[in-house]
Amino acid sequence: MSRLRGHTESALASACFGLAPIFAKKGLLSGLHPLYGAAIANATALVFLIFFFVAARQYKGWAVATRTGLMFAVLAGLCNSVALVSFYWAMAIEKVSIVVPITCTYPLFTMMLAYLAMKESEVIDGFMVIGTLLVVVGVLLTI
Amino acid sequence: MDAGIFLSILCAMAWGTQSVFLKKAMRNLPLSTAILITLLTNFLALVFMIEIGGGEGLSALVQVPMSICVYFMLAGFFNYFLGRALYYSSFRFISVTRSTAISASYPVISVVFALTALSEKLSVLQFVGIGLTLSGVYLLLVKERK
Repeated sequence: MSRLRGHTESALASACFGLAPIFAKKGLLSGLHPLYGAAIANATALVFLIFFFVAARQYKGWAVATRTGLMFAVLAGLCNSVALVSFYWAMAIEKVSIVVPITCTYPLFTMMLAYLAMKESEVIDGFMVIGTLLVVVGVLLTI
Repeated sequence: MDAGIFLSILCAMAWGTQSVFLKKAMRNLPLSTAILITLLTNFLALVFMIEIGGGEGLSALVQVPMSICVYFMLAGFFNYFLGRALYYSSFRFISVTRSTAISASYPVISVVFALTALSEKLSVLQFVGIGLTLSGVYLLLVKERK
């Protein structure tokens, strides 16, 4: 059951990630700088999350937060920021047809890093490698 | 190496790495706290980039018309709030590699939405790409169930 939930959530996340660029594209057609658009989008999500955080009394979670957990969460946020900035910077100086296919290979980096850093919980087998490669190659052909 | 290619690889590495860090963070943090910290870090980095980027800075942000803001607000709701919450939540039930590969199939969803909303036509290569992506997702789902 929990696996089914994990699969469903990641598939729904894919649908959300797929829907968002349609709205972002419509907004960018106005000529607004992408960084401003990203800031508005991020701020909106932040407001929703803070509202949820307070309404559902999720702030109690701070009590169980450890320094290690906080450090990794900040690192994840920093990685996201580096990705965002390097993406826009690359788009500004390189062709889209080169930047987008390279950046779409990120699941391969996740697989490699998970294999190296999370051996205790991540089982990487042949099916997973082939499945991930098929997704990456398929996405490269689709975009 | 060309700077553009270097930055593209850096972007892929950073995107690929953040999910591993997040999974490690969620061993010691509730999901909502982990998302809040990543979003807050992201927002501060964006504000910093806008401020040092020259131009009109943050003051220009409040002058963006509401009709345009709405599109980015919807994008933010679906991507950063709902999408990211579901994506990070799935880490609790399946491996980060599997979750990342499944959620990385989103360009196919975008193409399907674009087909519906904009009546675009697909090339043969795009059909092959969608087929390969769905095959990959199917393989990841079926193997996990076994």
